[in-house]
Order: sequence, then structure tokens, then C-alpha cells
Amino acid sequence: MKKFLLSFVFMFSVLMAGNINMDGFVRSYIGVLTNDSLDYSIVMNTFNLNLSKTGDKMGFKVNPYIYQYSGGNMELGLREAYLDIYFPSMDLRVGKQQIIWGKADGVFITDIVSPKDLTEFILRDFDEIRMGITALKSDYYIGNNTLELVWVPVFTPTKMPPATSIWHPKMPDFPAPATFDYTRSEVRHDLKNSEVFGKFSALTGLVDFEVMGAYTWEDEPTMHVIKHFNLSNPQHPVLDSITIYPEYHRLKVGGGSFSTTIGPFVLRGEGAYYNGKYFNTTRPDAPESVVKKDYVHYLVGMDFSVKGWNTSLQFIERAILDYTDDIEQEQYSNMATFLIAKNFLYETLHISLFTYYDFTDKGSLVRPKISYDIADGVEGIVGANIFTGSEGIFGQYNDNDMVYLKLKYSF
Amino acid sequence: MRYKTAMLMGILITATGLMAQQKLTGLEVMEKVYNRPKGNDMEATLTMILINSNGDKRVRKIKQYIRDFGKVEKKIMFFVEPADVKNTSFMNWSYDDPNKDDDQWIYLPALKKVKRISSDSKGDYFMGSDFTYDDLGNRKPEEDNHKILREEKYRGEDCYVIESTPKDPDYMYSKTITWVIKGKWIGLKREFYDEDGEYLKTLNVKKYEKINGVWVLTEVEMDNAQTNHKTIMKLSDIKINSGIPARMFTERMMKRGL
Repeated sequence: MKKFLLSFVFMFSVLMAGNINMDGFVRSYIGVLTNDSLDYSIVMNTFNLNLSKTGDKMGFKVNPYIYQYSGGNMELGLREAYLDIYFPSMDLRVGKQQIIWGKADGVFITDIVSPKDLTEFILRDFDEIRMGITALKSDYYIGNNTLELVWVPVFTPTKMPPATSIWHPKMPDFPAPATFDYTRSEVRHDLKNSEVFGKFSALTGLVDFEVMGAYTWEDEPTMHVIKHFNLSNPQHPVLDSITIYPEYHRLKVGGGSFSTTIGPFVLRGEGAYYNGKYFNTTRPDAPESVVKKDYVHYLVGMDFSVKGWNTSLQFIERAILDYTDDIEQEQYSNMATFLIAKNFLYETLHISLFTYYDFTDKGSLVRPKISYDIADGVEGIVGANIFTGSEGIFGQYNDNDMVYLKLKYSF
Repeated sequence: MRYKTAMLMGILITATGLMAQQKLTGLEVMEKVYNRPKGNDMEATLTMILINSNGDKRVRKIKQYIRDFGKVEKKIMFFVEPADVKNTSFMNWSYDDPNKDDDQWIYLPALKKVKRISSDSKGDYFMGSDFTYDDLGNRKPEEDNHKILREEKYRGEDCYVIESTPKDPDYMYSKTITWVIKGKWIGLKREFYDEDGEYLKTLNVKKYEKINGVWVLTEVEMDNAQTNHKTIMKLSDIKINSGIPARMFTERMMKRGL
């Protein structure tokens, strides 16, 4: 801890000496479960600092943060720490950085460069869900067209909540005692395990679009299952136990997105083809109970305004190709999102409602929020996260309905 | 908060254009105000001071660049204050073609991506101020019927007093009355009346000056009589025809910021 504090003192000294831009926020956040327990779902204080400088030929940014939880637990980290080098038609960015692609809101289809921090499921602000990754990124510009190439030398998976967390995904009912073995879950840090991403994007008066490709890793591991049978009676083997090996696999992804205006509407679309994903299967002869299939994931969305209420709708579908009934996931999974928001009192009072609805498992996440600007840069927020359903991505958290209060000071 | 603007420079810039004192119609007067030459490009810092009925102040500061490319006029704005919107940027392409809507994008640093937004909300208020996008100069003269009520001296200037009533009966104002300085074609004062015909607010030009041969309104104030809320807009660090490069109006600059 002392080292971190000294680091901050050092950074402030540099800041004072180097005419460096500084901004950030301090936030206090408390959430209460609305079930009978009335437990706190979160008590958290945050200090987030952005130090940056942009010159004619170079720039940099460092984004240290501290999360301090109830009980004294503390998380300190660098969300971003990179250098920029500017050329007449090209920029290079080297270091830890968040890279965000695509036109979808709150849905990850072509947006697969930066992994996610799901410590608090998807409830954090988007810039806090995104994890910075060490990468070399080059952007080559031709007018408003950009060719972006990204090399990620070290794979970083999605950060999942610990098993003790209320946000840890529910485990399925195993047919026998299960043991997790993580010996196969490491992706070695070497050149052949690096990731590459490429994107061409254009911004025009008619339409904005992106075309992307990636040779990457799946961000969440496939669960390989080895079954152990009691063969004391060879005629009737009995399943004794299972061992689950989480393991990451390579993925090849190609996709694109677009956004255009039609009268008062903004129409958006995004889709990707994923090659080489493993799915769990009940097929007895499938090695380790997995089977390799391709799938597509796509979205259409529309933004519009009705009497000052900004509204957004998105429909999302994921479809497994060459599907067989033994695959444990549904062939098609469908979801929708809905956002409505409006500002009042000279834009000091903001009201919004954002909802995910999972058609496949009939669950939802409903997120009403009211925020008030107490003064310039000082914001008080009251909101709720309401889960419905009994299974699936949202229904599994049905006992985690919560209300929360945040006070945030931006400087 | 809405992060888009309209032709802010359109209202803040005027030209000397000494016109012959001929008998003009109300529409011709308002077209001269709308079509004032503005120079090829302009760079400025815009400071907005929002004052509520209790006298509490909020401040918004924006660095903005605008350039006329012939058939399209491009603007880019970088938000400097308040801190919670710092590094947000906004870009607008406005076309001469009256049938083509503006293209608008916003870059939100928290989302780290440039997002296309709809330009179909000219009646919305700009950044929590008392100015709508239309008030900032986006409203075309042909959208209203104009009538010269009288000619009179106002603050020492010879003015036309023009009453403008919208052709769209559902428009947010039932009428406006504008005091236009003859020859300079500056709307020195404008009164706004709400949908029910009640007096709503007044725009007053407090200061204007000639910079590089172009009249620029450097301080304007909008007082809302119904809410006792007031917005003061000031322009500073103004540069006209400084040769802003085309690369300033790109996605690259929206992301990079100042």
C-alpha cells in the first residue's frame, strides 16, 4: 500500500512539474439488496485519476484508480497507461489501453478487443467494465477513413467475480460430484499466443461503417468435461465423478457494423461470424463433451427522440450454425435492449431507464436511474437494478435486486 | 445534456456589408441577417454562464472550430468545462442542400467511440442553456412569415423591427420580434413568445466587434422571464480566416481532443 501511495505522490510531483492535464473523479457508492436480507450488495469508494498530455508529435495518458471496499479491501490498478506518437497520416499507441469497436450499445459483438471486468456483472459504468490491455495499435488515416491494426502480445481473459460473490454465475446441476481443474486454463505468454485485430472504418455524410477481422482467443473459457466411471460392474458403468477443465481456445472472427440517419431516426447494425467456438454437448462420443461449431451474432438498433425523450431499441440474435440437438445451448438466443432518457430543469435532472430482455430464458435486467447535478461536476445518483426470471444470464440473479446511491465529484 | 450545436457562428458573426437603404420586405431583412458573410473559417472559445432564479451560476466552456468547405460547413467542438463532460467532442456537417439534414457525431470519452446522432431536435435546449439550437441561428428565414412592424432607433442604432410567425402552427414559439440593425444586419434584440402567445424570453446582444473584417457578436444574453433563468454567452480567443486545416474536422481529432 505504501508503494502505491508513494507512486501517487510521485505522479503528483511529475504533474506539477510538467504542465500535465489532470482530471478524474471521486465517487462514493452504496447498494442494498432488496431481498429479506437487506445486505449491502456493494459499499465502495473510488478515486479515478487521468493524467494526460497531448503535443504535436507525442502524447500520453495514465489512468490509475483505487477501489476501496467495505472491510478495508482495496484494489489499485492502472486502467490505461500508454504513449501516443503522431505522424501526418498515422498514429501509434503503445501500452495499456482500452480499445472499443462497433456501433452497439451495451452489447459486445465486434467489440472484442478489450476484455471485460465482470466483477460486478455488467452493472459498472462502461469505461469501468472495459479492461485495459497492453497493445500496439496503429491507425492510418485517409480523410475520414481509418485503417486500424492492433497487436496484443499477451492474452487477457474476462475477469470473473470470485466464487463468494453474489455475481458469480450459477453453476449447473452436475450429474455427479464435480471438480474444477485449472491446469489447462493458462494461455502461455509467448509470441505465438498473441492476438491480432484489424479494422477499416469510414465516417461519411451518408453512412458510417466498420469492417473488422480478428485472430483472437475466446474471452471466457470452454468447460471441458472428463467423466469418471465406476467400472466395478463393466456391464453397467456408473458415473462416479466429473472433472471440469476450463480451457481457452482460439477464435477467428470477421464482422462489421454501420450507422446511418433516416430522417429523425439513427439506424444501427452490427454482426460478426465466429469461427471455431466450442460448445458443450450431451453427445456420448464427443471428446470431453465439447463440439466445435461456428456461430453468428448480430444486432439491429434504432435511436430516436419523442418530445425530448431520447429512445433507443436494439434487437440481438445469436445463432449456432450446423446445429445439432445434443448441444446444450439453444440454437438461437435472442435479446433486446430498450433505453429511454430525458433531461429536466435546465439539464440538471436526468431520468433514464435501460432494460435488457432475454427472450430465450425470459429474464430481464431493468435499470431505472435518476441523477441530479448538485453543482458543476457534482452529481447525486439514485437507481435500481431489478432482475426478473429464474435462469439465464439475468434470471440467475433474481435474488440480487438492489437499490443504490452514488455521489460523484468530477474534477 | 445535449452536445450538439447549430449555427452558433451564424448568429455570432456578421459582416459589414453596407447595403443600399432600399425598401425591403421582412423576409429580405431576415435573409440578410441569416446570410451574413462569416469568413472562411473561425476558431473561438465559447463560455456560457447559466444563472438560475437563486443566482446560482454554472459555467460551460467549449473550444470550437468552424470552416466553410463550399457545399458543406463543418464544425467541431471540444468540451472543456464542466469536468464531467471534459474531452467530449461534437462534430456537425451542415449542407447547403436544403433537402439534406445535418450530419452530427458525438465522442464520449467514457464510451471511447464516435457515435452518430440525429439532428432532428432543433427545438431542444443547448447544453442546459436558455438557447435552443434554432435560437442559435439554425432556423432558416423561409420557415417563418416575416412582417416589418416599424423602423425605430434602438440603443442608438437604426433598426427594423420584424415580427416573425412560424409557418408550422405547432412550433414552440408563436412569434418572435427582432430588432435588426440596418446595414450591419445584426439582430440586436429578439423577443420570444411561447405557444400560448405569452411573452417568454429576450435575447440581447451586449457586445459586438469587428475582427479581421467580420462583425462578431462577442457577448449575448438570453433572459427567460417565465423561469427567471438567464444565460450569458461570451466568445473569446477569436480567430477569423486563420486557415484551419481540413483534418481538424475528422473522427481522428474528435478522439484525440485538444
